[in-house]
Amino acid sequence: MINPFVFIALPMGMAFLIALIGHQYKKSPDFLANLTMGILFILSAICYGKSTIYYIGNWSPSIGIPLVLDGLSGLMLIIINFIGFMSAIFSIQYIEKFYTSKLRYYGLFLLTIAGLNGIVLSGDIFSIYVFLELASISSYALVGFGCGAEELEAAFKYLIMGTIASFFILLGIALLYGATGNLNLAAIANVVQSQGFSDPIKIAFIFLISGFFIKAASIPFHSWLPDAHSSAPSSISAILSGIVVKITGIYCIIRLVYNVFGATVLISHILLYIGLISIILAGIMAFMQTNIKRTFAYSTISQLGYVFFALGIGTPLAIFGAMFQLFNHAIFKPLLFLNSGSVDYQTGEKVINKMGKLNEKMPVTSTSTLIGSLSISGIPPFNGFWSKLIIIIAAVQANLIGPAIWAIIGSILTLSYYSKVLKCCFFGKGAQFNEEKWKSFREVPGLMLIPVITLAFMCIIGGIFIIHGYNGFFGRPVKDIINGPLWYIQSVFGSYK
Amino acid sequence: MIYALAITVFMVGLYAVCCKKNIIKIIQGVIIMEYALNFFIILLGYRKGGIAPIINKITDMHTFAAQSVDPLPQAIVFISILIGLGLLALMVALAIRLYERYGTFDITEMKKLKG
Amino acid sequence: MISITIEIFLIFMLIGALIAVEITDLLYSVISIGAIGFFSSIGFLLLGAPDIAIIQMVVETLSLIILVRATIRKDIHTISGDREFFGLLSTVAILFFFFLYIFKATQTYPVFGNPVMSRISDSASNIYLAKGLKQTGSPDIVSAIVFNYRFLDVLGANAVIFAAFLGALAILRQKAKKKQ
Repeated sequence: MINPFVFIALPMGMAFLIALIGHQYKKSPDFLANLTMGILFILSAICYGKSTIYYIGNWSPSIGIPLVLDGLSGLMLIIINFIGFMSAIFSIQYIEKFYTSKLRYYGLFLLTIAGLNGIVLSGDIFSIYVFLELASISSYALVGFGCGAEELEAAFKYLIMGTIASFFILLGIALLYGATGNLNLAAIANVVQSQGFSDPIKIAFIFLISGFFIKAASIPFHSWLPDAHSSAPSSISAILSGIVVKITGIYCIIRLVYNVFGATVLISHILLYIGLISIILAGIMAFMQTNIKRTFAYSTISQLGYVFFALGIGTPLAIFGAMFQLFNHAIFKPLLFLNSGSVDYQTGEKVINKMGKLNEKMPVTSTSTLIGSLSISGIPPFNGFWSKLIIIIAAVQANLIGPAIWAIIGSILTLSYYSKVLKCCFFGKGAQFNEEKWKSFREVPGLMLIPVITLAFMCIIGGIFIIHGYNGFFGRPVKDIINGPLWYIQSVFGSYK
Repeated sequence: MIYALAITVFMVGLYAVCCKKNIIKIIQGVIIMEYALNFFIILLGYRKGGIAPIINKITDMHTFAAQSVDPLPQAIVFISILIGLGLLALMVALAIRLYERYGTFDITEMKKLKG
Repeated sequence: MISITIEIFLIFMLIGALIAVEITDLLYSVISIGAIGFFSSIGFLLLGAPDIAIIQMVVETLSLIILVRATIRKDIHTISGDREFFGLLSTVAILFFFFLYIFKATQTYPVFGNPVMSRISDSASNIYLAKGLKQTGSPDIVSAIVFNYRFLDVLGANAVIFAAFLGALAILRQKAKKKQ
């Protein structure tokens, strides 16, 4: 069985190595980073569905730090390393064209991946905080990587909001430690189970959850996300929207709510309503944008609203829908961001109105954008349709007819702003379309098309994961979530010898 | 009372981050928040009349375990101080570059992003 | 006795924080930050955390050097001004209610000087104190925890510092974008 520590140590070590030898050998950052991501992706695919716990230093879980690889972590690992791999392939030529200093880019990239893998694997709340900071600090630097005025401004905004969130989380951890005397998630869950949801624990929980909501950019705390995700290099936008927001925000919330504290009615309602508000408000804001990447960024908030909505419903079918939607969003949002990078690569444009008729010059990019857009708007037979369908069925089953209709309206809204993007950029003309410039456009190089085609293919066949419902591909993660705290305590403490 | 005072210092830092428009003041606010949080965590682990968690030859183990302050919050603060140093370096680098680009530290004049 | 001393220290820190936030002269505000760090370092010493006091001193010196490098420029000495009045008012109001909430929260905690490990017998710290020397061989329990029991955290923190300095170098490089 693979030692889960590899997922943290390998990218970290490679980042050091790249920083060391990147100056002498100019091609080594590309090669090493892609090799690392490829290995990590294969390893995460092998690990999926298995569960193992690695006790670092062989200390018992309450005094040491266990690395817990269960179904939920396994799913997240696949998402992280797959999207990381795709984005790393795309970066080779994209970063070469626009930016200098590739070794620092790949160093920060691998450290982000190491941080995210650490968050997912760690079974200890303080080391989750440490890895959260690792992932966040690397992504602050990556957002400002272009060093232009806008990039730096966005990076600073992101840094300040992220730091406030981190301090809230640290304060929450301190208060939680003061109430339970432990930092291990399973041990905390044990104390919470025996002592009940007492006042100090409740207060600590509120700080933790508000910090993670800022990291997840749900509606009242969303202001940093559109700036950061639209200013970053496109390969980094794909990482940020595709995985960083999900892992640092949603994964931590799921782990805390379902496996540590236990989902109460109040928490479920908070998740439900934050999700519902995010779906519509962020959708309306996305409709008003003129920059292609800002549209996609607001769309991230809106689509992740569905995940919160489904988590708030809380039935097994809804949890399955949440996991499926999260997985699908990690497929089509990076696809769209990478395509916006391809468009930027050829045309140097990000404003929707100035583009047009790209389907004649860039057929692969336009087709894959079409697939991604139809998929995210929930058109059958693409994968986004099935996940939204499941969420809506789950809502109807739970007697939430109003919210279900609300979610359908959100889906129609999504279709409307994506058709605006498609019409202005790819299959029609914007208002300020420039015919002269248009004639010189070509399709992007083949290496940039590999990840795009792979992701588009995943969008088309993604519907097959629905087979067997919540006993199929997503069976393990869904089971791990609904089994609740007692199962988590048992699995962490039970296997220690 | 003593916890509330530490939290008050934290709130002063948060106030600076939220309300000041100068980048240097915002960075100082972040540093103040960090100091206050570290102090708060150490306060949580203090035992009345406690000794430092370092074993010397004179004390025997039972009295040591009964008298020492809580070592785990100190370990947390150790890591948290290191992280704070890294964060500060990045913040200051961003501030220097922002000053080069805009010629000012005033964030209300940095409005190139819209929407 | 100790609680009164610590309270006095905290009040000094509070005054230092207020001065640092409100004064317009940049150099003085940086020095006030240094004063806060100094008081908290002495406070750590009184609270039985000598390791942390030392590391706080070292890191604070470094931070001050970095801050002075960033702030003290030939063309700018003083800064002034808050944001617009109504925005300021609403933010302060929100912060005040938030503060009241935390204040109430700290009231539910046990009094100062009564750590959680004396209330919960199977908490991790009791094991560290009782068995730390035997299991790790280090008489300093804090370094035993940091470098042995919770080694992953130190690895993570080192990676954070590495990432931050790599990021700072990336941000500070002069030619970032290639010409089209």
